[in-house]
Order: sequence, then structure tokens, then C-alpha cells
Amino acid sequence: MQENYLAKWLNNELTEEELAKFKESKEYAPYLKLREATDNLEAPDFDMAKAWEDLNKHKIGTKGKVIKLNPYKKYLGIAAAVALLFIASFLYYGSLNEKISTQYAERTEIVLPDASEVQLNADSHISYSKKNWAKKRDIALEGEAYFKVAKGKRFTVTTAHGTVSVLGTQFNVENRKDFFEVACYEGLVSVVYNKKEIKLPAGNSLVVINGQLQALAIPNTKEPSWIRNESSFKSIPLKFVLDEFQRQFNIEVATENIDTDQLFTGSFSNTDKELALQSISTPSQIKFKLEGNKVLFYAETP
Amino acid sequence: MKAIKEEHICNDDVYASIFSTYSKTVFNYIYYKFGNEEKAYDVVQEAFIKLWENCSKVAPDKAKSYVYTVANNLYLNVLKAEKVRLKYAPDTNAVVHESPEFILEEQEYKEKLERALAALPENQRTTFLLNRIDGKKYAEIADMEGVSVKAIEKRMHLALKSLRERIEGI
Repeated sequence: MQENYLAKWLNNELTEEELAKFKESKEYAPYLKLREATDNLEAPDFDMAKAWEDLNKHKIGTKGKVIKLNPYKKYLGIAAAVALLFIASFLYYGSLNEKISTQYAERTEIVLPDASEVQLNADSHISYSKKNWAKKRDIALEGEAYFKVAKGKRFTVTTAHGTVSVLGTQFNVENRKDFFEVACYEGLVSVVYNKKEIKLPAGNSLVVINGQLQALAIPNTKEPSWIRNESSFKSIPLKFVLDEFQRQFNIEVATENIDTDQLFTGSFSNTDKELALQSISTPSQIKFKLEGNKVLFYAETP
Repeated sequence: MKAIKEEHICNDDVYASIFSTYSKTVFNYIYYKFGNEEKAYDVVQEAFIKLWENCSKVAPDKAKSYVYTVANNLYLNVLKAEKVRLKYAPDTNAVVHESPEFILEEQEYKEKLERALAALPENQRTTFLLNRIDGKKYAEIADMEGVSVKAIEKRMHLALKSLRERIEGI
């Protein structure tokens, strides 16, 4: 008989031969009885629901006692409310503690805590949390900005139209009324628009105009043209071009008898006003009249 | 590029599911050692409070062995030279249509068995009952007790042997 044969027998691991031999022995009967008797053994009831309740009581029980012994109990509520307000406002302002805006005809460059760079185009606004930056690279954007993201954790740009996130790359986001454009210059960008995720490899852009989504290739450049003081457009309705002009030069734009939905392809200078006006009007075959801080675009009289 | 949300014991749902999965077996495990329901109950409470307090430090897949280890340590800490008294809930499922003598005999046998179980060394009793009542495999018990499967087989063998000897009054 092999070693520990009783354990093997209980586990039904004996060979037939061994089992037959064991059954013949006079020890077999008492062991069988023992096996049968212990088949029906049960452990005492364990009231799991009660144990869970007791456990939860214990988990918070210690706190209750402290409050009871406190003679300033009635002030605790007020103190807690004040503390809560304080903490809430602290957290709220803490989460939005950095805000940077640009006006018309203004541009600025921001270096984020992790050395990522943001170029903010005219009439744009970003906010982010300096304190939590190491934990969460989240930035809220209204307007247009070009990002050079340092390698690291996920970097997220939140806009009213959608969310753009990357790990480390260079990309441009433009988020205006009825207009949303994301262009990726390096790496891979993930855009969540309308609850759908779109992956944008380098050299591609995505444009949403009035809810119409289209994917376009971008010119083989390292950065958007506006960084070099030039605003470029490819098959973009004229009204968005005029809006951009207004933002770049802080000149009020008015139109008369022209179709602002016609598509415009081309670029204009962001520094030379006269040249820019020519660049817009000539290809579109419209005329303009510049008076002080206002410009009127109008159709050529036939 | 979706972030994977990590399951954490500090999460109430995760904690509750760990409790419902392991509390009963931890209770039985400690009960076999102590032979005392109240103490086993208290050990379960303390072990799970410890788990809650350290929820951020214990990985969910380590929760089971964490609770067993804590429970075992607690048992060792409070172990006194008390006489072990085990009793088992009667088998309610058994329908009896037997003669009074037989029932009496069975009753006697049961009492002998209980005394014999109580007299077993702690490690043999725990091993034996984990297998017989909780249906744990030898390998599982070996894992819980931190010994080899062979050692568990030895314990089982010796437990059966000494139970029989005690019951028969050898």
C-alpha cells in the first residue's frame, strides 16, 4: 500500500488493485463509516449579511464616538459647511487657475509646466490647471491654437465641438462658431467628435463645417501657416475666411451682395492689411472698400 | 486609446464582492482552528477591516491570500490554551426512517466523532475539515497553509487514522 493511502483513498486516487486490497482489510469498514459520517458534516451557519452589516458599522463606528464627545458639536455642522465651501471653491479655482486669452490682432505663446508649447492665435482662449498639470494634462480651448506637446501622459484639448487627445506630437486645433478643424503635423492625434473617435495620422486634417465632416491632407509643412503670419485656406466657405481676417486685423468686416458660402482656396498675410485684402478679393472676384477700422466687401457691378 | 479603469479594492463594489466571495471560507477556516464560532466571527471582521484599511496597498488578485494570512495571524495572536470544542450544525437534509437503536447508535457515533475531531492536532483538523466540509482540493489547502501537497496528504492520512483509533477506542 502506498504512502498516505488513506488520503489517496478519500480523493479516489487509489488504483483498482490497491482499492480491492484495502476493501479486503478489516480496517476498511470503520474508515468507510468515518468517510460517510464526515460527508454530512457542516460548518456552523455564517450569517454573511449580519457580518457585512457589523463590518460597515465598525468601519464608521469610530468616527461616531468622536463627534459624541465633542462639546462643540453644534458648531461642527457650520464649520463643516464653511470648510466644504472653502474646499469646493479652492478646488474649483484650483482646477481653472491658469487662463490665457488673446484679443483681435493678437497672438501669444505659452509654455506649459511640462515644457509643451502652445501658440494661441487671435481671439482665442485657453485655461488649464497649473497645479494638477503633472497629473492631468487637460486644456480647455476656445478659438485656435497650435500645440507642440512634450512626450508624456495623455494630453487632452477640450473644445465645445469635440475632444482632441494625444501622447506627444504637434497639432493645430481651430474651434470657432460652426467651424472645427484639427490638423496633425507630427505623431498621431485622436479626435472625439460627436461621440466618435477619429485617428488622425501626421499630415492629415479634419474639418467640420456646419456639422459636415471632411478629411483633408495638409500641405507638407511642419506647422500651420499662421505661425508664419499667413492664414491659409483650402476649399473653405468665404465667411470663415472673412471671420479670420477680422480676427487677424481687428477690422470690422461687412459684406454686400456677395455669396459668403462660396469656397475659397488661398492664403492671406496676417501682417500686411492691403496685401491681405487683395489676396482675398482678387480670386473671389469681389471688391472692397477700406474706411478706418471697417471694410466692406461688395460684388463687382456687372 | 481608451484608458483602462483599474479595479481597486477601495472601490465599494469590489470590496463587497471580495467579502461575499471569501468571508464564509475564511470563517470556516478559522473555525476549524479555533473551534469557536464567536472568535472565528471576530477574526473575519478584523481581517476584513484590515483589508479595508490597506485597500490601496493590496492588489485585488492578492486580496484572498491577504485575508487568509491576516486571519491566520490573528488566530495565532489570540490563541489560548483553551480546550477546543467543535460542534457542527446537524445535517438537516437527512430524512431518517430508522430504528430507535440505530438512531441512538448514530447519535453516539456522532458524539465520538466530534470528540475525536476536537482532539486532533490543529493542523490535521483544519486540513481534514477544509477537505471534507468545504470540499477544498489538497492543492488548495496546501496553498492556504503554505505547505506542500504531500504534507497535506500526510495530515489527511494521519487525521483519518487517529479519528478511527479514537472512535474505536484503540
